Amino acid sequence: MRLRSLSLGLLAGAVSLAAAPAPDFIIIANINRNYVIGSKIVTLNGLYQRDAAGAWRHFGSNDTSLSAVAFDPRDHNVIYTAALNGLWRSLDGGQSWRMCNDWSLTEARDVAVDPNAPDTVYLAVTDGVAVSTDRAQTLVRRENGLPGRGKYTQAIEIDRTRAGRVLAGCETGIYLTEDAAQHWRRVFAATDTVNDLQQSPHDPRVWLAATQSAGALISRDGGVTWAAFPGVPAEHALYNITFDPANPQRLAIGSWAHGVLTSEDSGATWVARNAGLPGAHRVWRVGADAAGRLYASVFGETLYVSDDFGRTWQPDALAGSLVNQFLLLPKAAN
Amino acid sequence: MKRFLALSLLCGLSVGPSFAQPATTGPMPVPPTDFATDARRSAYLARANEVLQWYVDSVKPDNPATFQSAQIAAKLARREDAAAVSARIVELMSVPQSQDMFWMFPWTAVSYLGRDQLTPAAKAAIRGQWKTYFPMRGDTENHWAMYYASLYLMSELYPDDPADSWFNGKSSAENRAEAKAYLVHWMDLATTIGQGEFNPTHYIGEYAIPMLYLATWAKDPEMKIRGHMKLDWLLADLAENTLNGVLRGPNARTDDTSVLQRWLALSSYFSWQCFGNTPPPASYGGFGVWFAVAAANYEVPEVIFRLANDRSEDFLQRDLKRSRRKWRYSDELMTPVYKTNYMRRDYAVGSYQGGMTDPIQAHVWDVTWAVPDPRGVHNTMFSVHPYASAQAMQMYFTELPDHMLALLSSQGKPSYDVPDKILGCSPYERVFQDLDTVIALYDIPADDRYPRVNGFFSKDLTDVTPDASGWIFARGGNTYLAYRPLAPYHWEHLLGYKQLPSKVGYKWERIDRGEKGDKLLVSPHGKNGTIVQAASVGEFKDFAAFQAAIRALPLEFKLAPVPTVKMRTLRGKEIAFTYGQAPKVDGKKIDYAKWQLFEGPHLNAAKGSRKLTITQGRLERVLDFNTLTITDRVTP
Repeated sequence: MRLRSLSLGLLAGAVSLAAAPAPDFIIIANINRNYVIGSKIVTLNGLYQRDAAGAWRHFGSNDTSLSAVAFDPRDHNVIYTAALNGLWRSLDGGQSWRMCNDWSLTEARDVAVDPNAPDTVYLAVTDGVAVSTDRAQTLVRRENGLPGRGKYTQAIEIDRTRAGRVLAGCETGIYLTEDAAQHWRRVFAATDTVNDLQQSPHDPRVWLAATQSAGALISRDGGVTWAAFPGVPAEHALYNITFDPANPQRLAIGSWAHGVLTSEDSGATWVARNAGLPGAHRVWRVGADAAGRLYASVFGETLYVSDDFGRTWQPDALAGSLVNQFLLLPKAAN
Repeated sequence: MKRFLALSLLCGLSVGPSFAQPATTGPMPVPPTDFATDARRSAYLARANEVLQWYVDSVKPDNPATFQSAQIAAKLARREDAAAVSARIVELMSVPQSQDMFWMFPWTAVSYLGRDQLTPAAKAAIRGQWKTYFPMRGDTENHWAMYYASLYLMSELYPDDPADSWFNGKSSAENRAEAKAYLVHWMDLATTIGQGEFNPTHYIGEYAIPMLYLATWAKDPEMKIRGHMKLDWLLADLAENTLNGVLRGPNARTDDTSVLQRWLALSSYFSWQCFGNTPPPASYGGFGVWFAVAAANYEVPEVIFRLANDRSEDFLQRDLKRSRRKWRYSDELMTPVYKTNYMRRDYAVGSYQGGMTDPIQAHVWDVTWAVPDPRGVHNTMFSVHPYASAQAMQMYFTELPDHMLALLSSQGKPSYDVPDKILGCSPYERVFQDLDTVIALYDIPADDRYPRVNGFFSKDLTDVTPDASGWIFARGGNTYLAYRPLAPYHWEHLLGYKQLPSKVGYKWERIDRGEKGDKLLVSPHGKNGTIVQAASVGEFKDFAAFQAAIRALPLEFKLAPVPTVKMRTLRGKEIAFTYGQAPKVDGKKIDYAKWQLFEGPHLNAAKGSRKLTITQGRLERVLDFNTLTITDRVTP
């Protein structure tokens, strides 16, 4: 559901993407207009990777319900997806899958692998957080400090600088754990769901959040304290937020009501950039690739791409798709 | 994107042939009078066979599209054409599959029905899809009942297969254990704190059919008897809530059509099949065939059969149900639903307490009157607040807020966000029922999307008479009705929905049937209320006497600061009901905490008991999920 720009455990502090091999650009796309459970519609959904020729290549299972994907940083054949069924894991690059949870966990919203403890997988679900320390062979709930009610968890994001330091975007705010989810504490209170959390690829102390009714937030101290961007309207839900991996000054927000909002001064000012997007520019998600091209998934339309950070837009491929996540995946350690 | 299950799925599985169905288009069934075991059994099997025959006859040799899973199952159930069936299965399995759990349970049935009939190639073709096709588990209890019952049975059919032979990467033993654990958990919930998706007009099939399959095919004796007992439980609940076979009263899930024409629902297939007391809907409700293929393996208990058919005495039942899971924006995961059901020969009154229970298709209260033939008749009266809210939808669904309202229409729920809707519950509605009196109070904020109350007045009412007293009198069948809106109102034609051809989602046209259609009493005031009282025609000398009796009853109400009513009912009860407070009857507060799972003359179960006693006359059946026993007795 968002651009998750790094998962390399060895990277701590400022990172130069330019010096690293080009990361893979992966999206989750559902191309299933008006699909309802039980439909006879057969379309190809799930994971897509942009190949060298620029085409989107599907891989993995055909699942209309994927909301997030994460990879083992040591071996990209180990893939985890968050889906309606829960957590899926593949050990062979998507050829075969195992549903890792039983009936007691469902409707996973997000998944993350700890880059500094890559056997540890965090799963955001509709009623809390589950953790595996054995590559999802087993999952246990770790919710100490989350409220009894109000722990609907939409986003989970791991601090790449320290094992076991994780932020969760919940219905009642942002929660932080520093001991691998043994204990959680609330660091930001919200009355509606926190839809997205992102750690800066440029400075790991900087975090962003997109919320349903509290606007867009920034933390400059590793997610401990948060402040709203004054230039971002808060009266409508913001769906996701992203950094430009190529330019630390550039940020973008995707939203139904505003389309694409961008900032080129680290969030001091924001402008809507929807010229060339169709209709009411109802943007589902935004993302950016390693070169700084900005992408917008437009509801009921297709994927759009901009080479000038939203000043102009052109249609990409995947007509009728909704993209739930843009993922820049650094090459595997091995 | 999700996935608000469309009722059209019921049709999707059931693409039924379009030729006459004897029971659907023929005369009304004669009310059963012979309750002897043999007579009931032979009639039940004949009805199942009618369904099978209809599907078998629908296959046209020159048109493969007429030979789908339902026809395959029907032929296998009748042990016909195994070779052709096998060949067709291989063909059907050669392309990507779809429909998730709605795929799983039909092909589970085919697999079992065909164990000794299908070719190895056909069996392998089906089995292979359980590796390559990834059905979703879904997000409702009916989805999970289908998913896990199917997975359980298929993992018993292939008991030792390794993990890599199943789509979910779990071995047969793992799948069997997980499925059993969930099904036992679900039965525990239903038998301790109440059924979710309670009394659905259509979704009863998604529960009853998987339970029949467990009862029929499970090898584990525990799961076999659990399936049998839960099917008994579901059918007893259906029997209690039907008037001449037609499901009436509140339910967690219905739709724009069935809420008016109460007969037009899959539940009527089950009444027809199991109780023989109403015609089945077209195509046997779509899912009927999937019950019929295994119906011979189940015997409807006489006590339930009699409960469905005997309306010689009035009865009052109180049931405890529960809402769908609320993932967020709620202090409780599941809301208790306190149902009241008052049944008489001429009419039935049913309700629950109101509030936000289920997201889209709830129906909170109504009076439904008996009719000689329910087909095409809108024999019901009720009011609703047309509530629509993105945040309320987010309570139940994992979606982002903005697209849901618009998307619902294209996903088969056209009325969710329209001001004249007559379906759904509201956080601003509170309801109390005492026998055949219902009081619904509304405290709708001024900034609500639709701050109004819609009262449904059927095309089939006669003598609709607005009275100077403020009451509106009417007659439905042999029932006198008195409807009292508590705030000013006007009349509108209730527009219907006509589905338009569409290749992308559902499209609808609103239809105005004018004076020949139903009417809506529109009261555009947030602080509001409705009182309805009903009585049998035979209780009064004439309509004027009924009106006079209603007018003579003391009634006081005020709408601010919150709506409150003090009144005496036709039955002589003094009721005081204030929005947000416990109702009082004859000065005594109603204590919902004391509500039992079932309480009444026919169904009784203590909360938390896992034990249901079904009583009709001297017959009694006890379903005890603690001991997994069924005990029948005839009381002295």
